Amino acid sequence: VMSSYWPFGLTGCLSVGQEMLLPRISKRNKTPLPETVALVEDIVVEYITDLVHKAENVASKRGKLLTEDFLYLIRKDMRKLHRSTELLSMNEELKQARKAFDVNEETLVVTNE
Amino acid sequence: PMEVDLDKLPSGTSDPDKLAKMNALLSQFTEDQMNRYESFRRSGFQKSNMKKLLASITGSQKISMPTTIVVSGIAKMFVGEVIETARIVMSERKDSGPIRPCHIREAYRRLKLEGKIPKRSVPRLFR
Repeated sequence: VMSSYWPFGLTGCLSVGQEMLLPRISKRNKTPLPETVALVEDIVVEYITDLVHKAENVASKRGKLLTEDFLYLIRKDMRKLHRSTELLSMNEELKQARKAFDVNEETLVVTNE
Repeated sequence: PMEVDLDKLPSGTSDPDKLAKMNALLSQFTEDQMNRYESFRRSGFQKSNMKKLLASITGSQKISMPTTIVVSGIAKMFVGEVIETARIVMSERKDSGPIRPCHIREAYRRLKLEGKIPKRSVPRLFR
């Protein structure tokens, strides 16, 4: 829980123009320097690219890229590992909730006819 | 289908002990800290943009939602590490004001030494 609190200001709203990811890093919500943003973007895109290539190597025997491949790569990074598994289970919960919602909707329609 | 932002949901709500600790921490926040924390919680990579990026890297159009979510989460945390480290560099140098590229470069160098940056099989020549 404590690890998810960053003491430093980070406002990240990333939008893509081609392969551009633009984080806005702000100190006390002021606008960051554009050259800093550009550099961080560069670094992040490179990070993601290298991460994906490594995951593809791990997945190569199987062929298809799975989330397990990424979890394997970050297995020694506790913060990233916990957050990733948390996000995945939240996503799964939402999926199940939506399914249940759709089923309930159908039931409602049937009983109203 | 409903579009839900996972970052808006509080983490660890199923664990009452975690929740209690979190509330204790949040109640100690100054207004400035609370604003920054909210920005942190709400910020993230857009799923559509991340999908495009992953598709261009893999050369495949089929990028699953879980993969997009996981990579977005990992990348966000990585950005946090870079910024946090840059802030530490700044305080060591007694630099004030906005974060500058030199701080980011030093942060990147330190993270590399810590093994937090995946190694390239083909090294970059210019950085």
